[in-house]
Amino acid sequence: MDFLNTGCTIFQGIGVTNSKAYGKIRFLDTVINYDNNKQIGSVGEERARFLSAVEETIKSTREIAERAKSTIGESEAQIFEIHAMLLEDEDFIDSVLLEIDSGASSEKAVLKSGEKYSSILRSLGDEYLSARATDIKDICMGIIDTLQAKNKKSNQNDEQYILVANDLTPTQTVKLDKSKILGFVTFDGSPSSHTAILARAMSIPAVVAVGKIPNEYDGSLALLDGVRGKITINPDENDVLEFKKERERENKIVLEHERYLRSIMHRPAVTKSGQKILIYANIGDGDEVEGALSNGAEGIGLLRSEFMYLSRQNAPSEEELFLAYKSIASKMQGKRVVIRTLDIGADKQIPYFNLDKEENPALGYRGIRICLDRKEIFKGQIRAILRASAYGRISIMIPMISTLDEVLKCKGLIEECKKELSSKNIDFDSKIELGIMIETPASAIISDILAKEVDFFSVGTNDLTQYTYAVDRQNARVSHICEENNVAIMRLIKMSADAIHQNGGWIGVCGEMAADLSLTQEFVNIGIDEVSVSPPYLLGVRGKVCACK
Amino acid sequence: MKEFKFVIKDKNGLHARPAGTITSVAKTFSSKINVICGEKQADAKRLLSLMSLGAVVGKELHFEISGEDEDKASEALEKVCKEKLG
Repeated sequence: MDFLNTGCTIFQGIGVTNSKAYGKIRFLDTVINYDNNKQIGSVGEERARFLSAVEETIKSTREIAERAKSTIGESEAQIFEIHAMLLEDEDFIDSVLLEIDSGASSEKAVLKSGEKYSSILRSLGDEYLSARATDIKDICMGIIDTLQAKNKKSNQNDEQYILVANDLTPTQTVKLDKSKILGFVTFDGSPSSHTAILARAMSIPAVVAVGKIPNEYDGSLALLDGVRGKITINPDENDVLEFKKERERENKIVLEHERYLRSIMHRPAVTKSGQKILIYANIGDGDEVEGALSNGAEGIGLLRSEFMYLSRQNAPSEEELFLAYKSIASKMQGKRVVIRTLDIGADKQIPYFNLDKEENPALGYRGIRICLDRKEIFKGQIRAILRASAYGRISIMIPMISTLDEVLKCKGLIEECKKELSSKNIDFDSKIELGIMIETPASAIISDILAKEVDFFSVGTNDLTQYTYAVDRQNARVSHICEENNVAIMRLIKMSADAIHQNGGWIGVCGEMAADLSLTQEFVNIGIDEVSVSPPYLLGVRGKVCACK
Repeated sequence: MKEFKFVIKDKNGLHARPAGTITSVAKTFSSKINVICGEKQADAKRLLSLMSLGAVVGKELHFEISGEDEDKASEALEKVCKEKLG
């Protein structure tokens, strides 16, 4: 190895994920043969060559779309459908053919037309459409790939590497062997580009917008730091050692901690001062019960009941719901299962409910507001829950409560259902617990009134946060407001906790904040009785509670 | 000729996905379908041309449809606009 590069070279960009990687960097050889200037034969032959390549590319793009649907999801896959449509675009085809007619090779003509349309989109000054310029480039690469009829692979051996590219297109990322990639570096791109989204999904480090890295560094060793958003090529030996030590320390700590957490998995979560907290799991359907139990869940704090209603043409029957709830209740063997009644609307739409599109869905027709209008559907679900309650320990929980009237109406409907079942001599738990979600500021503010009507509260911190701070957490411009300040929401939670405790009930937290270990101590202080998190977080939360004062 | 106007409410504007839907619906009709947005004009059957309108949120799209199936086309496109951009 020569040491011509005595010092290290650092490129600064924007870090997208909070991790680090060390390995060889590899440039994505983007296949383009800029030098292919000559047409293969006559203009007619070149036109035919191009047209058949387009046809083939459309076909393979649709195949990728199909594959992507099952691997990365419907909405991500839609981008490939768009690619297929762009490939069919007559303006684009005409523009390429015009270039061919004036003597360009297909490759050159495709590149030139691609550049033309990319620059039109970029010139519109709209960030979203500018990002689509990448899609145009992507389809051009696809055609050139096909034209050259060779799938140049960016990796020929089994070594893992840090991938360096101009900007990765969605098609390229699908084609890559993900198991070999340690991290991403892109010259262009932004924290909202496809590469960044993928890196987040794969939980590997990525640094975008580093500017051009010269080709000569291909194959060099580099340290990628997603935390500080930089890549260090040919790093100092000490830095590498430091990184390796850090990695080893982390691994060791993680392993040891996990071993410890497993060892206390079946012990109650009790703080040092003797306060006991129930650790429950959030699940979306019956298949998740096993994962919850194997990670020490003492109950189900939130069963999102929407799963039975999605991906179908009509509402599930009472019988279907009953069997599903009964199976979950029996699997939990007497441990508490809190079933949240149907919570749709806003971001969760069910086609057969035929809900109108709303200007402002978060503040619109959703959750209990819909259920109180569609009484038959709602009562069917309540009867199913009641019937299942004969086979385990089930609680009913109502979402999106903001007034006392809503609670009273729900109680009335539950009473009606109980009477209907009694008159048919159908068994149910007559003392079934009723709880409500605290997810609107209104419900927290009148929690003293609501607490008199129900057995428990469960705080849905995601919605409570957005409604309290008037912040859309998906909006990067404002999301920091609630991330950095939690005094307001903590006060609302404490108000609710005090109110329900005064009335002899209990309170849980089931939103994302429940899994945030930096808040666990505060929840303990407030007197939260139960926290409910998704199964992967169960062990960590139990460990944290045990370490609390 | 049929025509209708529609103001884009989707905050992402006429981006690739809704434009793709409009194009695929437009292609099922034989009528000529023009979309006017400010000073620019596009053929609704051509995706790139639609996307190049730069139709962001708040802009008005003016559809002009002429041909044998103009009534049906107009109805279908108005529905798509409401669903995807409303």
